[in-house]
Amino acid sequence: MIRIAITVDKKGLKKRRSAAVLSEPTREKLRLSKDKVKKTWRVFKQNRLGMAGLIILIVFFMMAVFASQIMWILAFIADWEYPYGPFDQVDEEFGGGAPSSEHWLGTDFRGSDILSRLIYGSRVSLIVGLVATVVSMGLGTIIGLLSGYWGGLKDEVLMRITDVFLVLPWLVLMIALAAVLPGGPTVGKVVFVIGITGWSATTRMVRAQVLSIKERAFVERARAIGSSDAHIVARHVFPNVFPIVFANAILTIALSILSESTLSFIGLGPDPTKVVTWGNMLEDAVKGGAMYNELYLWIFAPGLCIVFVVLGFTFVGYALDEIFNPKLRKR
Amino acid sequence: MKRGTRALARKILNSFITLMLVIVINFLLFRMMPGNPVNFVVPNDPKIPEEFKLELIEKYGLDDPLHEQFVTYIVDVFTLDFGDSFVYRNTPAMDLVLENMRWTLVLTGTSSILMIIIGMTIGVYAAWKRGGLFDTSSLSFSLFFYAMPTFWLGMMFIVLFAKMWDLFPADSAWNFKEPLEYSLNSLFDVLHHLVLPAATLTLVSIGAFVLIMRGSLMDVMTEEYITTAKAKGLTDSQVLRHHAVPNAMLPMVALIAIDIAYIVGGAFQVEYVFSYPGIGWATIEAVYIKDYPILQAAFFLIAVAVIIANLVADILLVYMDPRVKLG
Repeated sequence: MIRIAITVDKKGLKKRRSAAVLSEPTREKLRLSKDKVKKTWRVFKQNRLGMAGLIILIVFFMMAVFASQIMWILAFIADWEYPYGPFDQVDEEFGGGAPSSEHWLGTDFRGSDILSRLIYGSRVSLIVGLVATVVSMGLGTIIGLLSGYWGGLKDEVLMRITDVFLVLPWLVLMIALAAVLPGGPTVGKVVFVIGITGWSATTRMVRAQVLSIKERAFVERARAIGSSDAHIVARHVFPNVFPIVFANAILTIALSILSESTLSFIGLGPDPTKVVTWGNMLEDAVKGGAMYNELYLWIFAPGLCIVFVVLGFTFVGYALDEIFNPKLRKR
Repeated sequence: MKRGTRALARKILNSFITLMLVIVINFLLFRMMPGNPVNFVVPNDPKIPEEFKLELIEKYGLDDPLHEQFVTYIVDVFTLDFGDSFVYRNTPAMDLVLENMRWTLVLTGTSSILMIIIGMTIGVYAAWKRGGLFDTSSLSFSLFFYAMPTFWLGMMFIVLFAKMWDLFPADSAWNFKEPLEYSLNSLFDVLHHLVLPAATLTLVSIGAFVLIMRGSLMDVMTEEYITTAKAKGLTDSQVLRHHAVPNAMLPMVALIAIDIAYIVGGAFQVEYVFSYPGIGWATIEAVYIKDYPILQAAFFLIAVAVIIANLVADILLVYMDPRVKLG
């Protein structure tokens, strides 16, 4: 009893101390943003597709984080010799083996367990999707903000460059870049290629938003009291663009994961002997003759994982878009 | 009319600038990479004979300073001369790529027509019966295929329709044991080979059309002129055909313009999976064998085709919608 009282007191003290450091307006802002998050969550919960997407994503993120533990538990339940790693050669015979009680999805042409590769594969597939999205959304937001805020000739120049990336088919540019960039196939290169080819749509969207926001009264007020351009963009324009950027980022993750799988499938992704992704599992399946040997699970499983993850991000993204996009909310 | 003409001039100018930038990128992409440019344009491949390399260095002026190389390159572009293929000696890369382009046009053309017609029809019915069973199922159907990697759907089709049931062929665009000619037999053969690739490409891209048509029609349905039309005593189908759908078409045309680039990306994957001898298949092959003239020619040709297609869609949009202003 006493100990509990003390901890409560300690916590209370801590809170009071940190609160004292924060100034009055900052605290108010924090409270408001907290309220906003809560409100968003309340609306989001109503959206059935959004919630379904969220659950799918949680499952896959758990799979990525606890990959080795999952394999360990499976090995225990199914009485395997040991929990197979994604690169272990568990099958003596090369060339791919049919599903069995030992290897539920069979083995691939390197003699590795496909189920293990599938579970571990979620890691890089998700990471590439996330990081590539950060790169492309970051680039797109910055260029869109600048272009929209500056206007005039600079805007014109930036927009023409954006047009080039918008018009060129993403896959064509990706293939050309991946083929020409020096160095072997690595995760970093794939992230770079996806990021550099995917920013243009974001730029267009952000710019359109900025064009309407910068005419609003609060921006004029800020300018009237002498705020610098950098301050206005960072403190007044960007926060108003952010929600839509965020909703779109979620949708972009889905596209980035699809891009990674496509690049890997074509053979321009990370090296399958060092890194495993669902995309390069499919590349392996084709090279390893999964079609010819009728090992269809080898093709089916990684593809289905991609479909579900992409669906998860798409559902969540659309749900958020409906909340943040004022045009959609009215309906 | 005057405003329309100015808008048109502006669009054409923008497309031209985009094209110029693409041409510059095409130059930089293959020449500015770190390391010796000679090694990038002419890979260090022992299969390529030494005199051929020297000939290429001579032809592209790879020993010249960069700005002089650029001039040579620009002249080459405007004469559509990207050099000979490294692999198919003595054949201009452009000729090879143009030949592949025909098959890509067959594939993308067929799928585009299918996806526009089917996507629009589904979208209209879904919006009309909003919230109903058809609406929900067509929405989930569209999203499901949208989430699918194009190449994977192609592989699933091969497994189902070429391996399990031997209904359709899954490689190449025609049976190359027999020569291709202008006959009913050949036509049937080509169509038979087209079924799976075209179905794949149509299914993965149809979702966007369904969603946009549905959303746009639902927007239009809230307009006052629809209420007026209904008040006049028109039947539902008359309202739909004469008042709602024509006005809901504009976002569709805009979408077609945006989607062209995505459809080409999809076509690349489909061609690769089905070994369909289009430009995508040729490009990916060229990446493997480092046939840079082919890559450059393909990159240029695709960019030109997409820019022109976009321009056409934009022009259509300007003439269809008197309200379109230039942003």
